[in-house]
Amino acid sequence: MDFSVVNKMLFEGSIGQEGGFLHNIELFAVTLLAALPLGLIIAFGSMSKFKPLKLFTKSIVWIIRGTPLMLQLFIVFYGPGLVFGTPLFVGAEGRMKAAAVAFIINYACYFSEIYRGGIESIPKGQYEAGQVLGMTKAQTFFRVVLLQVIKNIVAPMSNEFMTLIKDTSLARVIAVVDIIMVAESFSAKGIIWPLFYTGLYFLIFCGALTIIFNKIEKKLSYFKS
Amino acid sequence: MKKLLAVLLAALMLFSFAACGGKTNTDANTNTDAPAASDLADIKAKGKLVIGYTEFAPMNYYDADGNFIGFETDFAKAVCAELGVEAEFQLIKWSTKETELNSKAIDCIWNGMTIDNDRFEAFSISTPYMANKQVLVVRAEDADKYTTAEAMKGVAVVAEQESAGETVITKDAFFAEASYTGVVDMATALKEVKAKTAEACVVDYVTSIGMLGEGTDYADLVVVDSLSFADEQYGIAFRKGSDITAEVNAAITTLVNNGKLAEIAADYKLTEQIIAK
Repeated sequence: MDFSVVNKMLFEGSIGQEGGFLHNIELFAVTLLAALPLGLIIAFGSMSKFKPLKLFTKSIVWIIRGTPLMLQLFIVFYGPGLVFGTPLFVGAEGRMKAAAVAFIINYACYFSEIYRGGIESIPKGQYEAGQVLGMTKAQTFFRVVLLQVIKNIVAPMSNEFMTLIKDTSLARVIAVVDIIMVAESFSAKGIIWPLFYTGLYFLIFCGALTIIFNKIEKKLSYFKS
Repeated sequence: MKKLLAVLLAALMLFSFAACGGKTNTDANTNTDAPAASDLADIKAKGKLVIGYTEFAPMNYYDADGNFIGFETDFAKAVCAELGVEAEFQLIKWSTKETELNSKAIDCIWNGMTIDNDRFEAFSISTPYMANKQVLVVRAEDADKYTTAEAMKGVAVVAEQESAGETVITKDAFFAEASYTGVVDMATALKEVKAKTAEACVVDYVTSIGMLGEGTDYADLVVVDSLSFADEQYGIAFRKGSDITAEVNAAITTLVNNGKLAEIAADYKLTEQIIAK
């Protein structure tokens, strides 16, 4: 099979198998867009002084982090149809939506713990200083604390970003046509090499991420503590 | 301020959960209004039959021009035409086909599925329409080596887990002394033999037609001609107790009588395998 044809199919899929690496990128982007803010909300929940809320949020984080993402994909996509008899996600686009929901919830929980670690690493003295200067708690958080938090969490976040792009290929368990699934369809036709070749796509993507994160770290380096 | 934020967040979370709950509840309600008992009515109402398939030649595959063809593709379209509904093909993972069917993500599994006792219990299965067998595939240089049960002693054999091939290996005396490992799919089973991580694999005859031979990476693998195991039959799986099975069976009979099924089989050189009467 022609190399450029295989490349094209791996990247954007083919008729009846739309997707390929574009689906990995789409799932990556959608997950980040929603899970980054949602993670912050969950982080506030698990740091709350309001006990029931704290307990509730922590239980959710425990359940999501404590079960395999693959299982969560099955539950989100097949659960409604199996339990209520009516599927919630219908058709080929439904699969992508179900995958996005599962990924967003899963990654938001991981992000929330990173945020929590970052926020709790800021010494109490800074809040007190803010108070002395007449700032409200919200003002102190957004004007003083947040930027330092961002700086502190850049390294663990870069880890999560890289894990995420590789995890997106897990969506194929609910038949979201990703690059690995396209490659597997080549295997089914008796052509093996595309499967191993997909690694290069992930390598290049992660290489780009590494460069971007290095730049971000440099930009934030004026905060030497 | 912080308390206010906490309350706000709690409300937000409750709301989002309520939103999810609300949706599923209404879905459940509509479901009880129209009993799931009549699959046929459901399918006729939406005007299409969602067919779960995996891509492989000669059953469901794309030709060089990107047309979706194959024996099962043409057969399913012909049956759907008889039923007066549209055939919608949905790519699935073979390993989750039961869940796909029971969660109503698809309406049937129509992809060269071997009828066995477990499946017969779990699904409503159509008239068997095609015969198939399991064959032993080895590297060409080993073709004469693995022909007796003694020769198989301690030999690494693979097959797709939960497949008819696996049943053959675990039950047939020929493989009594062989060392068996189940792998995720048939393509992986062939890959194992090619990569020499296994010596032989048991695959489905019809399936292997499209995977072996000229132009594939498995050109150096051969089917051991002198052996064949477990003659078996293909059927279409519908949800247990579904009322569409009878309709499909009637449509198959029509296609047999008007010679349409024979024509489709001839297109894919599967004439000898057809058993539907």
